[in-house]
Amino acid sequence: MNQTAVAEKEKRPVPRAGEGPGGTGRHTLGTRLNRWGWAFALLSIVLISIFVFAPMVGALVMSFQTGKGVNAHFGGLTNYARLFSDRTVATALSNTLIYLVVQVPIMLILALILSVILNDRNLKGRTFFRVAIFLPCITSLVSYSLIMKNIFSNDGIFNQMLIHTGLPPILWTTDAFWARILIIIAITWRWTGYNMIFYLSGMQGIEPSIYEAAEIDGANAVTKFTRITVPLLKPVILFTTITSTIGTLQLFDEVQNITQGGPANGTVTISQYIYNLCFKYTPNFGYACAVAFIVVVLILLLSMVQMKVGGKENQ
Amino acid sequence: MKGKRIAAAFLSLVMAAGLAACGGGGAGSSAGSQAAPNSQAASSSAGSTAKKLTIWAWDDTFNVKAANEAKAAYAKIDPDVSVNVVSMAQNDIVAKLNTAFESGNVDGMPNIVLIEDYRIQNYLKSYPDALSDLSDVTKPEKFMAYKLKTMTQDGKVYGVPFDSGVACVFYRTDLIQKAGYKDADMQDLTWDKFIEIGKAVKAKTGKAMLSVDPSDLGLIRMMMQSAGKWYVDASGKADIAGNAALKEALTIYKKMQTEGITVTASGWDAGVAAVNGAKVATAVNGCWYASSIKKASDQSGKWAVASFPKMTNVANSVNATNCGGASWYVIDKVPGKDTAKDFLSKTFASDTALLDSLCKDISLVSTYQDAVSGQNVGAPDAFFSNQPIYKNWIEWTKKIPAVNYGTSTYDIESKMTEAVQSIVKGASVDDTLKNTQTEVEGILSAAG
Repeated sequence: MNQTAVAEKEKRPVPRAGEGPGGTGRHTLGTRLNRWGWAFALLSIVLISIFVFAPMVGALVMSFQTGKGVNAHFGGLTNYARLFSDRTVATALSNTLIYLVVQVPIMLILALILSVILNDRNLKGRTFFRVAIFLPCITSLVSYSLIMKNIFSNDGIFNQMLIHTGLPPILWTTDAFWARILIIIAITWRWTGYNMIFYLSGMQGIEPSIYEAAEIDGANAVTKFTRITVPLLKPVILFTTITSTIGTLQLFDEVQNITQGGPANGTVTISQYIYNLCFKYTPNFGYACAVAFIVVVLILLLSMVQMKVGGKENQ
Repeated sequence: MKGKRIAAAFLSLVMAAGLAACGGGGAGSSAGSQAAPNSQAASSSAGSTAKKLTIWAWDDTFNVKAANEAKAAYAKIDPDVSVNVVSMAQNDIVAKLNTAFESGNVDGMPNIVLIEDYRIQNYLKSYPDALSDLSDVTKPEKFMAYKLKTMTQDGKVYGVPFDSGVACVFYRTDLIQKAGYKDADMQDLTWDKFIEIGKAVKAKTGKAMLSVDPSDLGLIRMMMQSAGKWYVDASGKADIAGNAALKEALTIYKKMQTEGITVTASGWDAGVAAVNGAKVATAVNGCWYASSIKKASDQSGKWAVASFPKMTNVANSVNATNCGGASWYVIDKVPGKDTAKDFLSKTFASDTALLDSLCKDISLVSTYQDAVSGQNVGAPDAFFSNQPIYKNWIEWTKKIPAVNYGTSTYDIESKMTEAVQSIVKGASVDDTLKNTQTEVEGILSAAG
């Protein structure tokens, strides 16, 4: 029954674009489709202009204003000049760069290794491990930060364990060095699984026969990883690098909740400094906007560098 | 085909409309939810049946409790007004005030809000019309002068003073005794003596004298004010590099850390935990800290109160200073202003019975002159070794040197925390303060 139905369906002539009675020629249809395409796109263009581009221009205008509240007035480049003498900007930038340079490579390499392990068809319980490693990234940023803060507080579980094993406790939240390490541990725990999923799905797209051929040629696991997996995953790696970089440059929730930028601005990030300027201190939105434009410039520069390094031929 | 295409166009139009409606609906509903408290307030301005007031405060053991008692007291005066007291972290209140005042949109803001004295100058200067003039509610002769000074602008009083932030040393009598000192040794301390006792406490009991938070310089602020100095001078100009009181405070702060009599605690909760968990022998803080100390009811009778230590190397330093303290303000554009004013004038601005019971319930040291003679004020407090603590606090409050807090205390403090950390790690005090002076001048000039 079923088979005959399918067969009958296949026999029926299928009208194609341009061939049907309604088709009046390629050119007209093309422009008409084009017009419709623009109509669809218009909606998102209008929305993004109102909700994204307009505030951006507003922020740029605001970044030239100095003074607070009713005293705000056009101040030219005063805010941008102040950026260079403000050491907290320098501290926040260097903290952000430390997170970026240390944390992103650790996380991505870890994610890559984990995904290779979990891509092994012979591994037992790999679904369980995949879920377990991915699970952190569905937890809310605030709640996981608070749990991390609790575990690593000066008399938290982690230090209790250290004391019981006879080791000196680590001042995770009151020593700037360890506070930074804590932030790195926290974001690595949260985001490694997220990046691993991209690599795993990327690996599904690699033809198994390539690996078989490599095995016949005598390639070992390391060679297969460096010569086949990594090059073929290059676009995915580039993507995760860019998103992780942007994510790190905008790092806020973890620092705000675990250390509040402390001790003494030891872990403060650019985003958090912008927040503080607006909502914690005497509000100075003009200067905060000027600081925000540093992030724009940084993300632009870093993404350009990564595109260059990642190479265009792979896209 | 043509029919199909028209149908498709129609469908997509419907979808687009749906999308737009979704977006619009979302915005509308969120505005609706924001406006909810406001619409309650709006009905109160109508003044007919259901009048509603919203109050924001931040400490559940202290000022929130006070607001709730005021609410109960006011219910007897005007039962038609329903008062909603909202407890919210102080940081969140500040963030919301900043946003509302900057945008000029007070939707969702409360009628009455508690603002810390360190911050009020900024609001009064940056947003002159945001808060209501309460000159007819707050009678200047009824309140303590140092408190009124912070909320007066161009001869108008904008707030109702609430608590005194008079600072003191809370100390554990048992631990001090174990270290070989008596209560008499704790009276009218100098910081040198404080450190000496701290070393003995550390040696004999193994406990720290004091917990410090690297991100909170309350201790240094208190020391500075005990000598009548602040991060800014009387005219609001940066006073960092040449500030002898600040320099001496930093030296003492560093010495306490190098002598090993402190323990670091990150954040408010960790500080309270150190006190309640019997990890420290003293807490040097504003008198409002008593309500947090009392949370450890098992330590009742083991605590006592002594006046704030003075700095021997600074000429004007006295055994009295201030830490924090806040006052009530009315947000002018939120409907229900008159009800809010009436509420404040009949509670915090005049009700001595209320203030007296607050003295007992939350250890409030009021800055209302007549509250000084309340019957609970002279009463001994069992938790604090039966000391008449309120009487002491009021005595010390009178000696607090008045300073100009300026507009940017917390911006400056953020810079100072970095300076303090580098000084503790060994950097030269003079050079560090010179750099900080430049940065603070930048902050203040930007404040315009």
